[in-house]
Amino acid sequence: MSAGLRSRVRRTLDLLHVLTVSDIRVRYGRGRLQAVKWVADPFAALGVYLLLIIILFGSGTEAVALSLACAIVPFQLLLATVINGAGAVNLRSSIILNMKFPGVLIPASAMVTESIAFIATLSILPVLMIVYQVGVTFAILWLPVAIAITALLALALAYPATLLGIWYPDLAPFVVSVARAAFFLAPGLIALDAVTGVARDLLPINPLTGLFEMYRDAILYGVSPEAWELLVPLGAAVLILLITVPFYRREQPNLAKLVG
Amino acid sequence: MTAAPQPTAAGAVASLDDVGVRFDFDHLGRVVTPGLSRFRRITASAWGLRHVELRLDPGEGLALVGPTGSGKTTLLRVLAAVVLPDEGTYEVRGRVGSLLATDAGLASLLTGRENAELLGVLAGLTLEETRAQMEAVDARSHLGAAFDRPVHTYSQGMRARLGLSVVQAIEPDVLLLDEVFEALDHEYRAVVEQLAKDVRARGGVVVAAGHDHHALERVCPRAAWLEEGRIRLEGPFEEVIPAYLAA
Repeated sequence: MSAGLRSRVRRTLDLLHVLTVSDIRVRYGRGRLQAVKWVADPFAALGVYLLLIIILFGSGTEAVALSLACAIVPFQLLLATVINGAGAVNLRSSIILNMKFPGVLIPASAMVTESIAFIATLSILPVLMIVYQVGVTFAILWLPVAIAITALLALALAYPATLLGIWYPDLAPFVVSVARAAFFLAPGLIALDAVTGVARDLLPINPLTGLFEMYRDAILYGVSPEAWELLVPLGAAVLILLITVPFYRREQPNLAKLVG
Repeated sequence: MTAAPQPTAAGAVASLDDVGVRFDFDHLGRVVTPGLSRFRRITASAWGLRHVELRLDPGEGLALVGPTGSGKTTLLRVLAAVVLPDEGTYEVRGRVGSLLATDAGLASLLTGRENAELLGVLAGLTLEETRAQMEAVDARSHLGAAFDRPVHTYSQGMRARLGLSVVQAIEPDVLLLDEVFEALDHEYRAVVEQLAKDVRARGGVVVAAGHDHHALERVCPRAAWLEEGRIRLEGPFEEVIPAYLAA
């Protein structure tokens, strides 16, 4: 690696570090309760959805909470990143108005911030594996791939969320509703195998479907994910990045006009 | 050429050639950017700056004076590359240290120390360099125990002192100050004056906007009088200010 490239990488990492650390402190506060709040949130979401699924379908499904967690854990990262991204520029308006810095890192730092909470919430999965006595298989090696694709999809969603947050700040609650709708239009509450009919054929179009099933394959079913489960969310992430990052870069010099 | 500020050993030069900054609005008075104009129709436009010509050679200091809304802050933001011109060209060479926002660019929920670390890195220092500077920033800011308290507990003057201490740490070639003197006590004004002198002595430039003409005169031998986004008069401080005050 050349000295120039090394310097640029170091600078980018330094910027991401300070933006993320400041973001965490501003959004999540400080002190010991911070970690508790992070981890408690997905557990609370899991509890709510679990209650919903028991009311709707009864508790007969095997390892219902683990199956649900395979969807909730990655979805929480995506949802939290969208919410964070939508408010990221306004949160940093005082800095944007004061000095030039690579604003392209603002959405990226939103994703990194929420990824730290996401890593903490991954602890739900082994706990539930123990509870349901689900053994570890070689398929667990797919989990890092699933996590990487989740992070990439979150990064991709951060850019349109940030753009929407500065262009149409009033629509932020609507964006959250759209994200939640996407969850319900994927096999989040129940696994894809339990879905039948036309819905079974259509659900794989939703990138969340492949993502959720990837986690279930690696953790719950102990099988390798099918190619489409990787490729659909991966392709969606790349496509969103290719479309929105250039758009965001062009808009970046105008951030001060929008927040000023 | 619109050059992003880069550290240079050759001193700092700032120049603006026929620079204009336009603000576009929709029918509800919301700002419309070029990207947003694909979705929102522009119904009105206003020039924040128009036909601005400036050149600052190494060692110079320029005061920006004029009524509120005359374009002083926008001009400083162009020099800081916070706002890019919609017409004309500009060039700023050297590391920029700026105090442009009323809250000095500080995040109110972060402590003074956390803000200093954030701003130091954003301004161009490495994380390591910034941390090495932290005790000096603490000492220079004269904040005492408040350095480790959230900034929302600070007065306007304390915020300005913290912002200035960070600016001192990055050793700017281009120092940009927007109504900083107004927030500071007499003791700390002397610190700002010394910082401005140091920057100019190193071959850097100082551009300061405000309404405290006595304070501005001590750091800026030249002045530019702005009105409705245009420079109405530019020259030696002792010539521009009387003309402005008499108008």
